Amino acid sequence: MTPAILFIIIVNLALGLVAGAIMYRSDFCVAGMFRDLFLFRKTVMLRTLLLLVVASMVLFELMRRIGLLPLYPFPLLGSPSLGNIAGGVIFGIGMVLAGGCVVGTLYKMGGGSMISATAFAGLIIGSGLYAEMHPWWTAVSKKFSFLQGHITLPQALGCDPILLLLPVTGLAAYLFLRWHAQRRWEVASPAEGYIQPWKAALYLAILGTLSYTLIGMPFGITNAYAKAASYLTNIPVPMHVSQVAFYNTVPLKYTAPVSQVELHGGPGPFFDAIAYIQFPLIAGIVLGAMIAALRIGEFRVYFRVPARQYVSALAGGIILALGSRMTPGCNIWHLFGGVPILSMQSLLFLIGIIPGSYIGSRLLVTLVLSMRPEVSA
Amino acid sequence: MKARDAENIVVYDIRGQICPSCLLFTLREVHELREALKEGRIEILIKTDNRDATATIPDAVASMGYDHFVEKKEGFYEIRIMRHKQQKLAD
Repeated sequence: MTPAILFIIIVNLALGLVAGAIMYRSDFCVAGMFRDLFLFRKTVMLRTLLLLVVASMVLFELMRRIGLLPLYPFPLLGSPSLGNIAGGVIFGIGMVLAGGCVVGTLYKMGGGSMISATAFAGLIIGSGLYAEMHPWWTAVSKKFSFLQGHITLPQALGCDPILLLLPVTGLAAYLFLRWHAQRRWEVASPAEGYIQPWKAALYLAILGTLSYTLIGMPFGITNAYAKAASYLTNIPVPMHVSQVAFYNTVPLKYTAPVSQVELHGGPGPFFDAIAYIQFPLIAGIVLGAMIAALRIGEFRVYFRVPARQYVSALAGGIILALGSRMTPGCNIWHLFGGVPILSMQSLLFLIGIIPGSYIGSRLLVTLVLSMRPEVSA
Repeated sequence: MKARDAENIVVYDIRGQICPSCLLFTLREVHELREALKEGRIEILIKTDNRDATATIPDAVASMGYDHFVEKKEGFYEIRIMRHKQQKLAD
């Protein structure tokens, strides 16, 4: 292993450890932010998500202007397609049924949640299922693609990003100050070691900027789920894996900004760039959350959960994985990384995730949480 | 998930459950037992490991006119829900 690759592994592990601890302490659940809007008309966490997006917008643009983001837009983003919306809808349904998004599942699992561990298994199964439908979905998505060769909105409009970013950040700054005056940022929580979500949003924006600057991309982990599926499928049926088109794709090809090493990676069962960027990040988030939970005596594993909730988590994980591969990318990739640079794929994903979360919320309440508890005197 | 009725405290152990089960479950039980709760005949005690629920449940039951008390135990939280003090005084 070269020092450049070791550097990438260590940076991702470190970023994951810090992000996992912050997410656990603040319960920074993106799935919950959208779900609670529809179930409880609660918007405080969505406000913090907007803060994260706008803070990332400002930090990314600042870094780009001073020449620290040579990869702009970052790798793995592509031209928009209506398939991004469809993927977002499916993703939204899945994340609510799973009880967390692809990252929320990790930090909750780190805290000892068996529901999230079940959703994690679903994510790997779903990624494996997507591999089988990849050729069909690629054809459908291409059919509905548009603005070929353009990745971001400023690119499509042929203007400097600042012309679009300034009015957006200006309006957001006005709203943020208004909410500050109305004291709508603080969450009154008696949970030990609680980090206010608005602070967590700013910390995560800084971590995302560090990832973009040091690795060349903001946080993203869903290709690793597909890679885990290929590794596991490769054990019983290696011949099949070698013939599946999806596992032979190499979508990641770029030169890492700091180490200047050529990186290649895909979902196949090989120890490539996807493995040493995303596996350490996943491990870091789980471990960071676990350490944070252990330090305040909250790491506990409870198995006695209604079977219906396990089924929901498994099905949700599978649906979530299908949505993340169809989009492609997850909410962290698009909302923490793509939307701040006005990636059109990410904006379309955002459009899709809203009705998806609504449908997921209705399904969760109707099918999963409708049962009365077992009561004994 | 089990509940037991002892010394006028109805205990629900909903640790480990999917989000937002804790809040939805609690709201439903508070509604079901509202008469006994308002009359001060019972209290509800929720055992949860959901950190978010320690904020959302008190917020929701306070808006419904109940008092609450959150206490950290070994690896989880207990949220007690009872009738409002002002109501006790009025009685």
